[in-house]
Amino acid sequence: MTAATIDTTAGDPRPVPTLRLFAAELRWVLRRPRTLIMFGLFALVPILIAIGVVVADGDGDGNGGRGLIGSIGGNGLVLPIAAMTISLTLLLPLAVAVASADAIAGEASHGTLRGLLLSPVGRLRLVGMKAFGVLVVAVVATLVIAVVGVLAGLVVVGGADGQLITLSGTTVGLGEAVGRVGLVALWTVGQLAAVGAVALAVSSFTEHPLVVLASVLGGLITFGVLSTIPALDWLAPYLLTTGWSAGADALRDPLPLDGLGSSSLVALVYLVVGAAVLITRMSRRDA
Amino acid sequence: MGNRSSVRRRWAAGGIGAALVATVGIGLVVAPAGASAAPELPPVSPEDLVSSVLTAEPGPFNGTVSLDNQLGLPALPGAPQAANGTSTARIWSGDDGKGRVSLPTDQGEKTFVSDGATRWSYDSETRTVTKVPAKQGGGPGEKQGGRPDRAPEAGTTGPPEVAAPDPAAAAATAIGELRNTSTVSVDGTAEVAGRPAYQLVLDPKPTERTLLREVRIAVDAEKRIPLQLSVLANGSPEPALQVGFTDVTFGPQDASLFAFTPPPGSTVRDEPATTDRAKPGPAGPKPGQDAGRDAARPTIVGDGWDTVVVARTPAQAKPGEPKPDSAEQGDQGAPEGAGAPDLSALGTPVSGPWGAGRQISTAVGTAIIADDGRIAAGAVPAQVLTEALAR
Amino acid sequence: MTDRGTGGGTALDTAPTHGAPGPVPAAGAMAARAVGLRKVFGTTVAVDGIDLDVPAGSVFGMLGPNGSGKTTLIRMLLGLTRPSGGTAELLGRPVPDGLSATLPDVGALVEGPGFHPFLSGRENLRRVAMTEPRLGRSEIAAAVETALERVGLAGAAGRRFRGYSLGMKQRLGLASALLVPRRLVVLDEPTNGLDPSGTREVRRIVGELRAGGATVLLSSHLLAEVEAICTHVAVLQAGSLVVSGELSTLLDAGAGGLEITVDDTGAAVEALRAAGATAFTEAPGTVVADGGPPAPRLLAALVHAGIDVFEVHRRRPHLEELFTRLTEDRNDRDGESA
Repeated sequence: MTAATIDTTAGDPRPVPTLRLFAAELRWVLRRPRTLIMFGLFALVPILIAIGVVVADGDGDGNGGRGLIGSIGGNGLVLPIAAMTISLTLLLPLAVAVASADAIAGEASHGTLRGLLLSPVGRLRLVGMKAFGVLVVAVVATLVIAVVGVLAGLVVVGGADGQLITLSGTTVGLGEAVGRVGLVALWTVGQLAAVGAVALAVSSFTEHPLVVLASVLGGLITFGVLSTIPALDWLAPYLLTTGWSAGADALRDPLPLDGLGSSSLVALVYLVVGAAVLITRMSRRDA
Repeated sequence: MGNRSSVRRRWAAGGIGAALVATVGIGLVVAPAGASAAPELPPVSPEDLVSSVLTAEPGPFNGTVSLDNQLGLPALPGAPQAANGTSTARIWSGDDGKGRVSLPTDQGEKTFVSDGATRWSYDSETRTVTKVPAKQGGGPGEKQGGRPDRAPEAGTTGPPEVAAPDPAAAAATAIGELRNTSTVSVDGTAEVAGRPAYQLVLDPKPTERTLLREVRIAVDAEKRIPLQLSVLANGSPEPALQVGFTDVTFGPQDASLFAFTPPPGSTVRDEPATTDRAKPGPAGPKPGQDAGRDAARPTIVGDGWDTVVVARTPAQAKPGEPKPDSAEQGDQGAPEGAGAPDLSALGTPVSGPWGAGRQISTAVGTAIIADDGRIAAGAVPAQVLTEALAR
Repeated sequence: MTDRGTGGGTALDTAPTHGAPGPVPAAGAMAARAVGLRKVFGTTVAVDGIDLDVPAGSVFGMLGPNGSGKTTLIRMLLGLTRPSGGTAELLGRPVPDGLSATLPDVGALVEGPGFHPFLSGRENLRRVAMTEPRLGRSEIAAAVETALERVGLAGAAGRRFRGYSLGMKQRLGLASALLVPRRLVVLDEPTNGLDPSGTREVRRIVGELRAGGATVLLSSHLLAEVEAICTHVAVLQAGSLVVSGELSTLLDAGAGGLEITVDDTGAAVEALRAAGATAFTEAPGTVVADGGPPAPRLLAALVHAGIDVFEVHRRRPHLEELFTRLTEDRNDRDGESA
């Protein structure tokens, strides 16, 4: 009971439980109107494709077009996989980029990153919390497409007696078809995690969310351009986007796993490098 | 200021480090299992190796075959495998002529199933099933222990039948045709698709007038089936064409793989049993073309490496007749009337005592399309072709 | 979790400025300390080797024109910015290694309030509270309401931050710094954007904090504000510390003479001069005496001379004069050296 107590008040505080930080981040991410609008748009993707396919089928010869979209007609369970594959080329990475941009650059520009560091959350845990938030966006966005896709496929497109006709001409039951949709969703989230790690790394260097969006968009476009240059063939295996057509593998029978597997490993490398840069940068960033 | 530039240097170093880690990491991920040291295998004479290949019975297996094509052919509609690039096929081979081949593309797939009695093919883009009764006795592709359906051919450019993605069938054919005119040797060992293999090398005898330098065939040391076929042309260290397993597994296969039921909503097309030249190709069978082919049965001039095939173009695809929409039709794999690919725009004009036409040259072969409708092709210089045409 | 309250109570009982009995380590205890702290941004030296001690229990005002390095210094003390050189201590622990232990007891409002425009004031505060180690999960809601009450924002707590006035934003920032009882509260320009009543409230809150035993470190360019509420000041100029110390000592050092209101100024001047002081008439009825014997003796001399003395007080410079003098001296020096 001396003045010395001022130096040793209530003992060292325990850090906030990580789960509570995750809950705070989750609440923040899901309260953001922008996030909710994005999820709504993702729900529209399979619905619009379904309507397009049905309309095209109505005035055509039953063959709604080429490629994956073409295989949806009368084969509704292709819809979720096609919708995820198509969204992965641009929309989903963009959503992840938006979430990553808000997560660090956005917080920095609002001055709220300071608050988190002063709480203190701890810099490493801050990275974990932010990565969790971005992952949640990736998972929810993918699941929205998958679930709405399955429903729209069965209800709007219908056909094939609730079964899935694979690209190999075999027929797969509803249970296995949903399992395959789940596999593609999981794989998609893995690819998005790689995008997110890189986007968060970019985000950790700037206070301008738009820089993150521009980087991810620019990166995707650059990768796309690089992969079309024949002289740069050797580069293709190193580009994250090269493996992004592997989602369609889930529509083949027997299910080939090497494309999904190798693209996931490439994504893992991007993830590790992105995370390393992110952690290094966040441990020394001024807030 | 020093402070600032040292900060910048540190970040630059960090950036380079990250890029390096990424490169090495992905390199490790995507690199093939590794060019491991040549396996130690008991020596074998070329003759024994060749004969063991011809009599090998590997039993059921499955695998992935990759075709790396650097022939320099233009992209032909309906035969994407012909153009430069890499394509893959998944193969399952059972007993009794049963087999399945899948040719995946980014957005679709062509599937060929032989259940022993019927050959099915399915094209996911058109959702068309084609059904052909299997030929009694089996074709050449089946003579070694029930090879599946011979896979799509890049064309009828004559021996060696290099474009067949099933290396077992392709290499066996090549050895059979070439060993009278070739020096056959065993050049060490290699590991292909994770399996030890002998490297069988066929060199043309000096008298052979051919563009080819050598054909290398990696023969599985245990099962004695070719695992990889490489065609090397004069003047290039890299194979002009390489087809081989990237993975292969021997063992019983799931019987359901060799059954095919047309999926709901597909169009089923019945085809009569045909001669072995009219196997379902990648573009699907073409009735009109089949008739044309029967009429224009090719003649073979010469033998060995300088074999030349002389054929007649199918009637509905006369050379020189412009068909601006043929590419599009071919792309869609339209079953009706796509005919042979339009060759009139290809190659350079040539003429001689035999007539005039257009010459198409590639790294491993030459073809001349004469204006009178004849086509001569072979793994030979143009002069050999013109001699064949002049006969 | 509950012993926090008693800890705060203990601190209140023994606030060192009240001259608590017994051993007095607190007299030397520093709530924050900078040793040779330096920060260079590119080629700009923002903070140039500052040594600073913020005694525990003080209300420490940091003064300086814009760009003098106040905020950068505060950010380094809080571990938000890595120093280019020197070391910092917060509540007796080194920065940044001890931050996880010390920051929960530090409330800070740095560089304006940072909140998300799309969330309500309450929701924003809740988010901060979720990451506050000193708050148990069940205590969050109550702590948020208390803090909102305390800064007078309870009525507007449901509105989006986007629609807040500058003053309301500032209050919300204060509320987040005061979510839990703190041992040190750092306020960077706390009265920025506040109207006079808001300013008074900040003054009241600082007073409460001090009475509760907390140390308050605030930066401001409003001299009157600092003079009114601070016990200690530090003056920064162009990244360097010009002076720091207890406010009263600093002002006394610059003290002037006695200002005496009398009925007869002429007689008073004579009497004072006779007593050995320098004296002159400043205004009708007022004389100023400086130097010479101490004040009681001068007054005795006046009374002795039969002069009626109505009012006497010591002339002290206002902080503003002190500040102007200090910073201008320095500007002059800088000007010469340049």
